Amino acid sequence: MSQPDQHRIYCEMNPEPAAIERLCQVIRVRGFEVTGMNAELRDGTWEMALTLKGSRPVAMLQSQLEKLHTVNRVHRMPAVAAAQRA
Amino acid sequence: MNGAQHILEAFHRHQIDTVFGYPGGCIMPLYDALVDSVGIEHVLCRHEQGCALAADGYARASGRLGVCIATSGPGATNLITGVANAHRDSIPMLVITGQVPSALIGTDAFQETDVLGMALGIVKHSYLVTDPAELPAIMEEAIHLAQDGRPGPVWVDIPKDILLTDIPPTAMAPITPVATAPCAIDEALALLSEARRPLLYSGGGVSLAGAEQAFRQFADQAGIPSVVTLKGIGNHSRHDPYHLGMLGMHGSRGANLAVDACDLLMVVGARLDDRATGKLDGFAPNARVIHIDADAAEFNKLRKADIALNGDLGSLMQAFTQATSGTPLAIGDWQQQCQEWRATKGFPAADNDEPEAPISGPAFVRQLSRITGDDTVIACDVGQHQMWVAQHYRFAHPRHHLTSGGLGTMGFGLPAAIGAQFACRGKTVINVSGDGSFMMNAQELATIRRYRLPVKLIIMDNQCLGMVRQQQELFYGNRESQINLDDNPDFVAMARAFDIPAISIQRSDQIRRGIETILAYDGPMLLHVAIARQDNVWPIVKPGASNGDMLDEHTQRHQNMSAGQTPTEHPTSSASSAQAPKRNAKENAA
Ligand SMILES: Cc1ncc(C[n+]2csc(CCOP(=O)(O)OP(=O)(O)O)c2C)c(N)n1
Repeated sequence: MSQPDQHRIYCEMNPEPAAIERLCQVIRVRGFEVTGMNAELRDGTWEMALTLKGSRPVAMLQSQLEKLHTVNRVHRMPAVAAAQRA
Repeated sequence: MNGAQHILEAFHRHQIDTVFGYPGGCIMPLYDALVDSVGIEHVLCRHEQGCALAADGYARASGRLGVCIATSGPGATNLITGVANAHRDSIPMLVITGQVPSALIGTDAFQETDVLGMALGIVKHSYLVTDPAELPAIMEEAIHLAQDGRPGPVWVDIPKDILLTDIPPTAMAPITPVATAPCAIDEALALLSEARRPLLYSGGGVSLAGAEQAFRQFADQAGIPSVVTLKGIGNHSRHDPYHLGMLGMHGSRGANLAVDACDLLMVVGARLDDRATGKLDGFAPNARVIHIDADAAEFNKLRKADIALNGDLGSLMQAFTQATSGTPLAIGDWQQQCQEWRATKGFPAADNDEPEAPISGPAFVRQLSRITGDDTVIACDVGQHQMWVAQHYRFAHPRHHLTSGGLGTMGFGLPAAIGAQFACRGKTVINVSGDGSFMMNAQELATIRRYRLPVKLIIMDNQCLGMVRQQQELFYGNRESQINLDDNPDFVAMARAFDIPAISIQRSDQIRRGIETILAYDGPMLLHVAIARQDNVWPIVKPGASNGDMLDEHTQRHQNMSAGQTPTEHPTSSASSAQAPKRNAKENAA
């Protein structure tokens, strides 16, 4: 199996009940692990920066997250370079 | 108006006139409101799983929203399988459950379960209503979401106190769907005109989008050879000369050969499920892919698409029809090849001319297909019988074939047939079940009786969990484990206990008479069909193998011979094809 890559995504969501659980569940089910999370409720919107680990294409995860009704925006940030991680 | 009345008001606004439900403590305010409501038929099933699957069958047969209702706790947990079933097949469904009063949530109250948390993975969206004022808007949004784009179940969980709270009437403006910008099809057209061996691969998305006519028009005009997934059965006209039927694990050899040989795969409303593609490495190895779907998340998920077109399938198919009219594709040789495969590599099933011979599953389904009319709806269960229906029944329309594709839910057929009969009151609706599957929701016989639904019930009884037995035989060294059902109840007596007349057949010469008898009867009737225990579904691709590695009866017999086994040998059973099941054999149609 290939080495899991690190990814960073930024996400904006409506603060509905279970919004964060829903997001985390999709991340897990689609083959990624949350290794870092920064979340803040600002002006009625959840703003979340997530660091993820996984070997599947992160674009696939992005399109699954974008489908969630509570999610307004998903943005992929530049991947963490291997050297930076070490 | 209280919260419960607001829910009914939303039903009225959206012309929802049939709902399937089961009452209980926390949903009682809604049942109380139903007493005074006019124009909504509430169908009381006998288990909440039956409610959800009936709502699913209603939606599949009609294209309308299916609605199911249950109470908190066990009512909600009983819905889960039915909702997951709808989710996996993208069926538009609205699920309403009562929840314990707001103040009790989180206190482990009587019949409290975290429905929102439990159902997250099996819904398109879900709500826990926390503010009464939001209920009308949530109902509006839930009904819209369930049907918009790629449909799916939407679950609204409502605490009892909110159902009882007075909420001022709100003028709800209907949500207008966001129109997707029409995408350019030029590049796809260029690939299509270059291709010498193009193949249409369509699935359930075609009928879900209401694009049946536009799709057929394109297929007929372009003359592109075609295959379908389990859920795409019925997409093509039965007389389409280039149609090769279902592909995949139990697909036709011709369909799988065509996928192997094609140089362009035009995937329409299908998600390239593993049961259809087999091992991905070996799937359509020479083909470029045009993927057309309502859900952009399906693109590149399992197979890279050279061109992905996201949007309304009906409009896209119309655009393709317009663009290709007058410019026939140069695919004559390929069409000829596919026609030959259609003639020689379809699903083999000899009708048994021996009158005394035991009934074989495929032969029975072929007769059923010949005898029933074009407008018949068949609701299947899960197992060998389901595959025999998919292989041998010739469907005129995709909404006539109700089958649990993504989840493969045993017990789907009977409640789905009930839902379909409510949706299509004048049509013949037949539930084709196996002896294992039938027992999973047999309590719904009481629903058929209560509403005097003229559903026809067929049990193909091989006295075992046939599909599992087959895989144990082929892939687990014939070591049978927990598949024996030779102590089945007397199905004929069982039906009669619900006031449903029933007959049983066990010989080939009784098939026609048996089918005609139940069809002619004015009301529900059950036909018990004793079939041979060791019949297999052919061909079969071993799970995880490539579709090119299909096994059929002949390859299998050959393998058995070289292993020194006779083809019908069973380690733990002496049943032979000549042996009819012990029970039910006493009655017959003759
Ligand atoms: C709820 C559920 N449990 C278990 C299975 C696994 N399963 C798939 S087919 C099958 C056997 C079905 O037996 P029967 O209904 O008698 O049909 P047959 O295969 O004999 O035609 C089983 C157990 C399933 N699909 N669904």
